[in-house]
Amino acid sequence: MKTADRLTQWIGKTESFKKLSTLPLNFVLNFVLIVPFAIMIFLSFTKWEPLSGYDWWHAPIAGVPRFVEAFGDTRLLWALIRTTIFVAVVVPLEFLLGLGMALLFLGDFRGKKAFTSVVMYPMMMPWVVVGLGFYLMFQYYGPVNLLLLKPMFGEGGVIDWFTNSALAFVAVMIADIWQWTPLMFLIIYAGLAAVPRRLIEAAQVLGASSARIVRTVRLPLIKPLLVVALIIRGLEAFKVFDIVYIMTRGGPGVNSTEVVSLYVYNLSIVYHNTSYACAVSLIIMIGIALVTRLAIRPLEVRAE
Amino acid sequence: MPKLEVKNLRKLFGTFEAVKDVSFQVEEKETLCLLGPSGCGKTTTLRIIAGLEAPTSGEVFVDGVRVNDIPPQKRQIGLVFQDYAIFPHLSVFENIAYGLRVRKTPGAQLKTKVHDAASLIGVDRILDVPGKKLGLSEMQRVAIGRSIVLDPKLLLLDEPLSNIDAKARERMRAELGRLQKEIGIATVYVTHDQLEALTLADRIAVMRNGLIEQIGTTGNIYDNARTLFVARFIGSPTMNLIDCELTRSGKQVILKSEDLVVDITELAEAITGKVEGRELILGIRPEDISLNIKKTNPRAIEAEVQLVEPIGAKSIYHLMIGRIAVLAKDYPMPDVNVGSRVWSTFNADKLHVFDKKTEEAIL
Amino acid sequence: MVVLVWTLAPVAWMVSLSFKGPTEWYAPNVIPMTPTIDNYISLFIPTNPVGGSFFFTSITEPITKPLINSLIAAGLGTIFAVLIGFLAAYGVSRYRAGGTFVIFFTLLTRMLPGATFVAPLMVFYASIGFIDTYAGLIMLYTAVTLTYAIWLMKGFIDEIPPEWEEAALLEGASPWTVLRKITIPLTKGGLVASALFIFILNWSEFLFALVISVTQVTTLPVQISKYVSAVGRMYGSMAALGLVATIPSLVLGYIIQKHLVTGFTFGRVR
Repeated sequence: MKTADRLTQWIGKTESFKKLSTLPLNFVLNFVLIVPFAIMIFLSFTKWEPLSGYDWWHAPIAGVPRFVEAFGDTRLLWALIRTTIFVAVVVPLEFLLGLGMALLFLGDFRGKKAFTSVVMYPMMMPWVVVGLGFYLMFQYYGPVNLLLLKPMFGEGGVIDWFTNSALAFVAVMIADIWQWTPLMFLIIYAGLAAVPRRLIEAAQVLGASSARIVRTVRLPLIKPLLVVALIIRGLEAFKVFDIVYIMTRGGPGVNSTEVVSLYVYNLSIVYHNTSYACAVSLIIMIGIALVTRLAIRPLEVRAE
Repeated sequence: MPKLEVKNLRKLFGTFEAVKDVSFQVEEKETLCLLGPSGCGKTTTLRIIAGLEAPTSGEVFVDGVRVNDIPPQKRQIGLVFQDYAIFPHLSVFENIAYGLRVRKTPGAQLKTKVHDAASLIGVDRILDVPGKKLGLSEMQRVAIGRSIVLDPKLLLLDEPLSNIDAKARERMRAELGRLQKEIGIATVYVTHDQLEALTLADRIAVMRNGLIEQIGTTGNIYDNARTLFVARFIGSPTMNLIDCELTRSGKQVILKSEDLVVDITELAEAITGKVEGRELILGIRPEDISLNIKKTNPRAIEAEVQLVEPIGAKSIYHLMIGRIAVLAKDYPMPDVNVGSRVWSTFNADKLHVFDKKTEEAIL
Repeated sequence: MVVLVWTLAPVAWMVSLSFKGPTEWYAPNVIPMTPTIDNYISLFIPTNPVGGSFFFTSITEPITKPLINSLIAAGLGTIFAVLIGFLAAYGVSRYRAGGTFVIFFTLLTRMLPGATFVAPLMVFYASIGFIDTYAGLIMLYTAVTLTYAIWLMKGFIDEIPPEWEEAALLEGASPWTVLRKITIPLTKGGLVASALFIFILNWSEFLFALVISVTQVTTLPVQISKYVSAVGRMYGSMAALGLVATIPSLVLGYIIQKHLVTGFTFGRVR
């Protein structure tokens, strides 16, 4: 038929290809991202809960007060603080450990390849399983207590990890470090290895020892890479949810290890405080966007 | 005692024998050039001397000391890479100072040394420029500078002029020559450009397939090529090489190749006994053929001009002697064009005769 | 050395737990004295093999359903993400389709916590009846990993010199043909690796799955979380479950590693 022909012809053209190629993408994005986003903005100005009996698009507009509420929310504040602490502890540690490992891997030793594969897999495990694994390990009668601490500190060293909010938090941090240090290691190692061999040789001929070469040639040259790695990991760390959920569900008590993601989740799903959750979500999104912008700025300047 | 002595070096990469058996010596203040086509093993040899590769067998002596087991860091040898390998994140000053800092040279002394070296190589005005912003020839100067500032016992240069464009190359070549005279360290220089070798080196070692074909002073290599390969490699335009046979008639000894007849009676004694039963190749460099419109020399041979290349003070003439193509390099002759007939005289002192695959018999 | 022990420890423990009988669950020994595979079996066949009134009921339902759900969701999600992502990446890379819009959104989805989308998402899905459905789940899975898909594939596509494609175009081929005959064969390795990686990502996906599923479409990770809270002390079974859940990841991870080594870092930063 004529239209079918025309259609196939039209599809084949370059300009239409251009639009078509991103069409499915747009569709999905719209669906999952934009529409909810719009809804979110709308709802954050209302006061509504799913159980309140009427459909959401009939929700009464309550204006700004929801946002004001957010600023007075101490639980939110605590969640933010906790998450920030989490990031501030976990990311540098992962970075340093990864760096150490990468430096170690610079030299040659037996079984390096096998080693590398093994070291890589914590990243690949489903996060819930990681959480599960550490949950099991930190049990009162688990290996951390019985195999590690007891031999070292005797009876008094055995701790009930999950009933103490600070310790539970530490356990979660350890889990995260375990899982993501390999990533830092990979990125850093790739960077270090990518330094052109010639430069290393030049430094050698000039008399520099291996340690000095690392310090004066390798590291400076990968600085931008390191920064990016830190930022990426930092962002991801802020979003942590899975391991916290599995290991502590928010911690002993109601919310002693609640991180931001968890709080928002609770708001939305557990407490069904939908419109407020929207407001909070919005605030957090804007916050992250701003912070990221600020962090990227010095990078952009340096890239010139 | 020679500054550098290399004995029977051999290097295998897997099953590939990059260097088969190389030996030579370099004296103080002398510049030796390792000349040869790509893949002949010259760079590998250089890297072995520097300590970046370990030889499969053979020894390297610097100042009489065996350095095989000494790592590159401690050999006190300067090396300038083909791509210069300047530290892009360091300024020119820091690049040059790198080695000095390794040696923990005190501040004031370090500064003086760097400044001195910088003036010597001409970068004293760009000391603050970061490495990655330098142009190619600047990079090369810095590369040289950071090596010489350490007063090395030996300086190694790997194809230093290959990366520079033609115009700048001439200038750099002159500069390098000047530097070498001024600094006066024993130098080993690797290149595939025979012109560089001829201008900059005191002695040349022509390498091929992991072996040194011939080693000698520049003049020696040029005039007394001992193998066909060397003869072909050196000299631009390339030496004329013509298959021929030797015939005697009475006292006259001639080399003949179709219409080309060269009388070499004077050299008869020199070649007797070495030449019988072998296929011969006559070699003569284009600049050793003189041309004339008239037959001024009784031994001159008639040739027809195919093409004239005016390349400057002299011109290159593509001639046909009968069916043999010959190149001659001589002063331009105003009325000579394509198709003209000229008389060519082969300079008997500069004749080379080669066995079809190895040596030569006379100068 | 230390690194090795450190890395293997949790897994080793889980392995040992999964093979231990209930009496040994609280004991510190690494090697079970009476190894049993009951834990694994109980995953699939809900019985009460671990007898005794001491414990809750064992796992109340076999994990086959969540397992299959995970497979379907992750599988389809991956396929869609790869297809759409590849197409989009190609469009962006060669034709600058979508412009900054696309790149912007790609970055955005990476930055923002998933939890922040949960509230409106629930509302939206509820209105169109996508809650607890396969469609909804797959949509989400696709969307979440699309970002990664585009990022990764763009990297691979960029490595192909555009001249080859241009030559084909000049000869009259349509962009689709060019894609099929030239680009895809050349990037196949990268595509496969990306697909595997995205599958692993999808397989681990938790937050959105948790939110969306009620009873019908629970995935494996969600199932695990339910056990942690409800059946808190069933160490052996939990361990077994955890390990089962990890197997695909490990297998795929191994395959990926064989194909790419260090060129495959998140930060293809240049």
